[in-house]
Amino acid sequence: MYRLAFKNFIRSKSVIIAITIFLLTGIISIIIGRQFLEKQQAAANAVTALQKEQINRNVHHIQDQFGLLMYYLRFAFINKPDPIASLAIGQQDVNASIQYLTIRGLEGQRYDTDLFNPYNQLTGNLDLSFVILFLLPLLIIAFNFNLLSQETEHGTWSLVSIQINKPIKYILFKLSIRLIVVLVLLSVLLTLAVFIIGLPLDEKLLAYTIIAILYVVFWFAVSFLIIVLRRSSAISALLLLSTWVLICLLVPAVINNFLTVRYPVQEAYSTFIKQRDGYHTRWDKSTDSTMQAFFKHYPQYSHYVWNSPKFNYMWYYAMQQLGDDESAAESEAMQQKLALRQQSASIAALFFPPMHAQLEFTDIAGTGLRQQLQFLDSTAVFHETTKLHFYPGIFGDSTVVGEDWSRHVPKYFRRSGAVNWASLVAPFVLFSLVLGTGGVYIFNRNGIK
Amino acid sequence: MKNQIKIIAGHFLKTTIRSKALVAIYIVWLLLVVYAAFTGYKTYTTQNALRLQFQQQARQSWEANPDKHPHRMAHFGTFAFRIKHPLSVFDYGMESYTGNAVYLEAHKQNTVNFSEAGFSTGLLRFGEISPAMLIQMLLPLILFFLGFNTVAQQRENGTLKILLSQGAGFRSIIWGNSLGLFTLSVLFLLPVALATVFLLYLQPLLPADGLVSLRSIYLLLICLAYLWLVSTVAICISASSNSGRAALLKLLGIWLVMAVVLPKTLQSIGSALHPAPGKIEFDTAVEEDILKIGNSHNPNDPHFKRLRDSVLKANGVDSVSQLPFNYGGFQMREGERLSAEVYNNHLQQLYNLYEKQNNISNYSAFIDPLIGIKNISMALSGTDFKAYRYFQDNAEAYRYFLAQTMNELQMEHISNVKPAHDDKPQIIGREHWREFPDFKYTHQSLISIAQQQQLTIMALLVWFFLSFALIYFIAETAKAL
Repeated sequence: MYRLAFKNFIRSKSVIIAITIFLLTGIISIIIGRQFLEKQQAAANAVTALQKEQINRNVHHIQDQFGLLMYYLRFAFINKPDPIASLAIGQQDVNASIQYLTIRGLEGQRYDTDLFNPYNQLTGNLDLSFVILFLLPLLIIAFNFNLLSQETEHGTWSLVSIQINKPIKYILFKLSIRLIVVLVLLSVLLTLAVFIIGLPLDEKLLAYTIIAILYVVFWFAVSFLIIVLRRSSAISALLLLSTWVLICLLVPAVINNFLTVRYPVQEAYSTFIKQRDGYHTRWDKSTDSTMQAFFKHYPQYSHYVWNSPKFNYMWYYAMQQLGDDESAAESEAMQQKLALRQQSASIAALFFPPMHAQLEFTDIAGTGLRQQLQFLDSTAVFHETTKLHFYPGIFGDSTVVGEDWSRHVPKYFRRSGAVNWASLVAPFVLFSLVLGTGGVYIFNRNGIK
Repeated sequence: MKNQIKIIAGHFLKTTIRSKALVAIYIVWLLLVVYAAFTGYKTYTTQNALRLQFQQQARQSWEANPDKHPHRMAHFGTFAFRIKHPLSVFDYGMESYTGNAVYLEAHKQNTVNFSEAGFSTGLLRFGEISPAMLIQMLLPLILFFLGFNTVAQQRENGTLKILLSQGAGFRSIIWGNSLGLFTLSVLFLLPVALATVFLLYLQPLLPADGLVSLRSIYLLLICLAYLWLVSTVAICISASSNSGRAALLKLLGIWLVMAVVLPKTLQSIGSALHPAPGKIEFDTAVEEDILKIGNSHNPNDPHFKRLRDSVLKANGVDSVSQLPFNYGGFQMREGERLSAEVYNNHLQQLYNLYEKQNNISNYSAFIDPLIGIKNISMALSGTDFKAYRYFQDNAEAYRYFLAQTMNELQMEHISNVKPAHDDKPQIIGREHWREFPDFKYTHQSLISIAQQQQLTIMALLVWFFLSFALIYFIAETAKAL
């Protein structure tokens, strides 16, 4: 019976067209994901070459002044995307994944954005997570909306219902055939992704797959609930599509608008200005006050001579440091506000599976706001370490050749965080269970018509 | 025939308005419109207030500088904040993705930072809810819901035959129902228009160069034309389908393709076909070209050595200290000119690439009117890519002006001879800072917008006339059974 029912389903021309379009879009999305990874890799290679070239050139030109040399040199800190990021690009195309910094003030550098075409941002990336989140439900809706109503409308339902003793089993049976087809499609796409992109088979891929499967199950549960309401095909299609519009388009947009209005990030602007003023106004203040403020932050350097008659780079870097010190509070407040946005989004997402799926996808892929904040934090640590490494050389006016320049290659960001399975799975399971039980209850209450 | 059309349209309206579904849909619609308008207005007022405040703050700290060397002021620099156009409460466009503030300093073109997208969670990927989005995306879906059954149902239950035998032509039926549905759509447009006008009215000061009322009128006309097109498509599909169900599925398919699938896919294809460099590649290329010219801070640089020799020769002197102007300022002015030229050339190339990417979307307005409507609505609301570029170009022009003014002040007022240790330092009075004008935010003129949107305007006109052709064509080919 399974084979016959399966053949019956798959033979329909519209089903084949839908499947083909879906697969094609899926493959395009995988290729776009690969392009994204390649672009990121190319940028990492470019910055590695650039850093080496700039160090060599400047070290060659400026051999006598360590402080001046360090004005020019830049050091890269790279947030190299995990291969799985190609399946959920998230915000990674907006946020710069390479920080290429001098040891001068940090706050004036670390929020620099990448260059991108805003039109691309507006339409958004066509990555696999989009295909799964938006298009897969539509395919499921197209498969399921007339599953029962068609039988009623063609008059076959009365035949079916007298031949079997548990009609609900028959509906679940028909649903399961469609579920198998959808899951096969999903696994085809994921397998293709593994081969086209060269994804490692690890916990992240497993988590990604499980989210996708649970998300599919959720939409089958939604379909089931609408089917057993026993409306006409047209009304069922309308109801299902309205659900899709509501939870895939409107609700997330409503919540996003809310977050934008609720948490305006004015700290970003004040950080910007304070950093500039903090540094530049130092030129007009006494050298002594600047140095005392600097030594308060870094007492370990107070034994260096800063008041020699020739231009002193120690004073210059102290001024730079004070720009950061004066904007530190604002910068911190800004990051806290962003963390608040992230938290509120995660909480709201618990009630809406498409949002939950999106946030979990980007979380696994490391392309969400959470990881961006981690990256910004680590950038500060990276900047601090690099800076402190060079301070003694600058302050002591060391020789440029004394430094081992070959070891200053780009460093990579390691993000922390394992997959939290419970919070990942729970909302999907709960929703599917509630919808499923609700469906069975409604069907039994209505009886077989 | 006019009379028939009127009767049919009236009949359509009467039956639809009586239905409970419409009331429910309309209530949800009103809530969404109010929410979108409110959040849009809130974002607009908060952000503009903040940006104006910080723009002033930046100016105050610029003016607060004491007497100093003009080149220090060139490095002190200033900021340009992007101000939202009042109509951005209607269409957010690309506002969330474009940067909002840029630091302007000598020698260096900085990125425009702090876009809303950089501050956003993954939810932004689902889009935003703006009055424009409601009209462009959601309203067609509602109209399809309300219109799919009109003619198809009459065909299914046989009333169409009766109607036709009573002398109503197919053309009147389609015209009548289209007009009915269009009238309904105007009822949906009304709260959006009222909310927008109200919010514009709430704003105490509308920028004169924003041409808000003229832009709003064009926006209204375009929305009306779009809704007319949507209404005719709904009725024509209904008239050419055998059953309501078939009509609905076709319409939903059209909506999905036009509103969800095509915009994203086409833009993705555009950017895949014309890959653009990232920031590092871009900066590398710029630096390479600038190094070819020379380093204006390095006195032994061959390019600038040649320059010095020719300047000395032209002035008939043999050392820079004898020049009538400060040579350092002169050299930096030259350096700024050259590096800005190189940078702007590269930026132009990058933007040409972006234009190529966007062109696929722009041309596709001929196959997907929704893309055209979106483009022109963003353009009129001052939230499209061109509006952003306009800001960026202005900011860069101001940066250049600032750097060169400081260089010229240096040439004029700073001596070529370095003062002895206890002499008066090389500084100029602070009144110069106040004399230098502040960055002034302006909006594009309507004529340049019209020029930029030529293609889209053409596409939309074609679609508008096609809607009449469609009615004519369907009326000729449709059958009663």
